[in-house]
Amino acid sequence: MSSIAFRRRAQLGLLLGPVSLFLAVFFLGPLAIMIVTSFLAPGLYGGVEWTWYRHNYGRILGFADPMFEDFDPVYIAIFLRSLKISALTVVATLIVCYPAAFCISRLSERWKNFCLFLITLPFFTSLIVRLFIWVLILRQTGLVNAVLLNTGVIARPLELIYTDGAIILGMVYIFIPFMFMPVYASVEKLDWTLVRASLDLGAGPIRTFLRIILPLTAPGIAGGAVIVFIPALGNFVVPAILGGAKVMMLGNLIEQQFLAARNWPFGSALAMMVMCVMLVLLFAYVIVSGRRGIDAATGR
Amino acid sequence: MKIIASLARGSLIGYTALFFAFIYIPLVLIAVYSFNSNPVNMMTWTGFTTEWYAQVLGFKTAVSESALYIESTDQLVQAVWNSLMIAASTTTIATVLGTAIAIALYRFDFFGRRFYRVVMFMPMLMPDIVLGIALLIFFVNAGVNLGLKTIIIGQCTFLISYVFIVVSARLAGMDRTLEHASADLGANEWTTFRRVVFPQLLPGIVGGALLAFIISMDDLVITYFIAGVDVTTLPMFIFAMLRRGIKPEINAIAVMMLTFSFVVASLGLYLRSRQK
Repeated sequence: MSSIAFRRRAQLGLLLGPVSLFLAVFFLGPLAIMIVTSFLAPGLYGGVEWTWYRHNYGRILGFADPMFEDFDPVYIAIFLRSLKISALTVVATLIVCYPAAFCISRLSERWKNFCLFLITLPFFTSLIVRLFIWVLILRQTGLVNAVLLNTGVIARPLELIYTDGAIILGMVYIFIPFMFMPVYASVEKLDWTLVRASLDLGAGPIRTFLRIILPLTAPGIAGGAVIVFIPALGNFVVPAILGGAKVMMLGNLIEQQFLAARNWPFGSALAMMVMCVMLVLLFAYVIVSGRRGIDAATGR
Repeated sequence: MKIIASLARGSLIGYTALFFAFIYIPLVLIAVYSFNSNPVNMMTWTGFTTEWYAQVLGFKTAVSESALYIESTDQLVQAVWNSLMIAASTTTIATVLGTAIAIALYRFDFFGRRFYRVVMFMPMLMPDIVLGIALLIFFVNAGVNLGLKTIIIGQCTFLISYVFIVVSARLAGMDRTLEHASADLGANEWTTFRRVVFPQLLPGIVGGALLAFIISMDDLVITYFIAGVDVTTLPMFIFAMLRRGIKPEINAIAVMMLTFSFVVASLGLYLRSRQK
């Protein structure tokens, strides 16, 4: 081996070694341990028994441990409702972002960059603060109710907070940058000559939208949908703040298993459900958009 | 036809204006109402006051004398201090490691690059809660006491990714002819790196570091799971306050946090996007 090749090797080792070790131990390691834990039996006082136990998943999917508990469909119900709320969040975020992406993509370079900056900026401000503002706006003595009561539109305060709607609103608010960026990327690449050609050839605006614009921007929509859906599904802060005690989502349930019920194996199994949904979605995304999709998504 | 087109254009612009209003009006509202003197109903304006700011900053005020509000400015100060310490440590570690892996992936060709890229994007996609509980199980099994140390390690696992992405973007946009020129003119590899590559890369590294700092300051979910019982960070402090019930000082704290984030993140984003 030439000395140059050897030097390159040594440099690479020096660059990659520490970070590989760090991520192997503190990132991949914990994930592996969590997977193992999800198959272990819960101990009596919040610990873990090192025996194979498949009933953590059974409690969710319908085959409970006959020794301890009956199957309770409440977990699958929470799972389904979390899927529903996440799906509605994706749709609502798309509706909010999609038209704006078109408008911004037609601006001059300077304004474009400024608008993108304004959209990214909130992502770097405190999540908890941004959600807290919505508590002030929506709660019983909040701004919306105060205004509506004072103007006489309503006689009694509306119940706005602690509803599914409030959770979706909060999620939309925090996930706008996640949806906007991929959607914008594909809208900006849109070839407008195709749109003009379609209109010239006599297709109406609706048909042009459905047959030309929508398919061409679909990759961005799909990308945005995936990266909004996944964190929405596991989110526990939004339901904790805007959902009150009434609206339980997977994230709250997992938090409860770890910090209150102290059933870590069951909590891990629930987290694995989230991971499974994530893997299925990513897999679907890869199948649909191919290798180029991954490379585009990971910035190459 | 022309009328319809301009109508469509107008409504699109109107929609976009609403879009920005939706993002920013809540932030403006909280800034305005943080000066509201109404202690009970924070969204009903009764008058202007800087009382809440004074209290958060630890000045003696009429209300704090009655011990009605913020129980402990000390706790708050401790939380802020913890957050700053954690953010400073994580930023240092994540910046070094994230820059190293970005350079490795962009300047070297080796088996497993695609795998590394996927691993670098995993923490950004994975719901925070999964990483949070995985780290909790890991630390408890490893017999590590939860506290500042575990928070710093835990946050680094995903902050490395953020730094990696910002520095990669910088590397991808870099002009390599300068490096070739430097090599042709007889500079060795190290000199070329130090005098040509590094200065070009520096804005990206600083940008990544600033963004990592601000994300660390704001992280709630992962920190929440691995903080243990003794350590509280600023977002955790606010989260706990929200669960107990809202008091007007939170407004003042929130506005100060927003301002701080805005300044640091603007700088970071500016450095990220700056073109040569």
